[in-house]
Amino acid sequence: MLECREITKIYGKKTAVDHVSLKIEPGKIYAMLGPNGSGKTTLMKMAVGLVKPNSGGFFYEGQPVGVESRREIAYMSTEPYFYAWMTVKDVGNYYQDFFEDFSMKQYDRLIERMQLMSDMKVKALSSGMMAKLKIAVTMARKARVYLLDEPLNGIDLLARDEIMTAVLDAVGPDVALVLSTHLVDELERVVDTAIFMKESHLVEVCEVEALRIEEGKSLVDKYREIYGHMSAGENYADMLRS
Amino acid sequence: MLKLMKYEFRKTMFSKMILLVITAAAEIAYLIGVFFEWEKALGIGIAGLVFCALIGITYIGIDSLLVFHKDLNTKQSYMLFLTPRNSYQVLGAKVLENGISIFLAGVFFAVLAAVDATVGILYIGGLKEFLDIVKQVASSISININIAPGELLLGFFTALASWLMMIVTGDLAIVLSATVFAGKKFSGLVSFLLYLLLGWGSGVLLDHLPEVRDANLQLAMIIAGAFVISAVMYGIAGWIMERKLSV
Repeated sequence: MLECREITKIYGKKTAVDHVSLKIEPGKIYAMLGPNGSGKTTLMKMAVGLVKPNSGGFFYEGQPVGVESRREIAYMSTEPYFYAWMTVKDVGNYYQDFFEDFSMKQYDRLIERMQLMSDMKVKALSSGMMAKLKIAVTMARKARVYLLDEPLNGIDLLARDEIMTAVLDAVGPDVALVLSTHLVDELERVVDTAIFMKESHLVEVCEVEALRIEEGKSLVDKYREIYGHMSAGENYADMLRS
Repeated sequence: MLKLMKYEFRKTMFSKMILLVITAAAEIAYLIGVFFEWEKALGIGIAGLVFCALIGITYIGIDSLLVFHKDLNTKQSYMLFLTPRNSYQVLGAKVLENGISIFLAGVFFAVLAAVDATVGILYIGGLKEFLDIVKQVASSISININIAPGELLLGFFTALASWLMMIVTGDLAIVLSATVFAGKKFSGLVSFLLYLLLGWGSGVLLDHLPEVRDANLQLAMIIAGAFVISAVMYGIAGWIMERKLSV
């Protein structure tokens, strides 16, 4: 469905993503895990063409990602990106103008559920409200792939359930969902596959169910195993060499 | 493309509203001058309207470049580049919207000038008296009025073509700043120098067009040349955006 092959992105002297190859299959929920700066956001941005790789590439249904793939891939950035002059209603209208799979009915339902008002100005929204708006407008699309970068960032505990419900409602046999987050324990119950990123490398891709049955480990255990053993100053390349 | 243009118009609407408000204030001053035959108000009105027509149209062009710079260098770029539209469409919508805005602003000010002249003639009591007052006001604020109706249209299109060329040159410089020179020291300065260089190069190219005897035909060739140069620069900017732009 969505695949990257040996993809690399370098910003100046820093390698953000280093020769990563990965396949995203339909009908599954993925958790993309890793500390800040591990390359999760850059990888997601390359999947929708916001960031151009230095080498390798992202492919959707066998074709390089671009205008056509953006019709079927919904991406939610961790940063706010709406025009400052917009209201909540304007954001919906904008998506309706550009995305054929956008449902205004669903959007209205979601903003009501998130306790947002149509006439609220985007620039006046708190970070939590902005996070809800981003989720609402992204999940009001009937996309085939959802890439959500830190969807629970800045969201209070009570609203998280609302958001997770809205997100999980979109999952179907033809749909893939990729969530990047630090809140590993909250995702454990819903995720099928975990993608572990560390210092621009893809460390491991593992099935959460198999992890539990075969290794007797939870996702949190695995997370600790991968990220908890690094001493300060030691980098992933050193770890790989050792 | 129309939807992109709609939002480009919306993004630049605030500055156009400011221009309209200033124009309305100048128009009110002009009408007060006409109705009460008050020269000072008439002078302020005419100067204000000329200022709005010249500076306002210039600002519409500059504002388009400022918006494009913001579109490439802030997170609001996602609004454009997450949509299923390619870079040529994104850039094309900006150039077209700006060209149409400048054209419409030109038409608006031309119509306003015609209406104001008619009102002036009707209320001041004859063409001669009206022109006398206008000339008197113009001489007091050192403006020379030379009306050449035959060349006005061609002159307008020359200005439009020159503006489009300037806008596309600016767009190309902004694209280079956000791609080839992204993250490099003095990228803004280098892009500005590049903008000047591209502008100078375009001027040199237009200077080397074949010379013909008919001045109007020569002007038409310059207009066509400016459109060709704009199209080439647009193509280059779109190509770089499509392959190199990371937002």
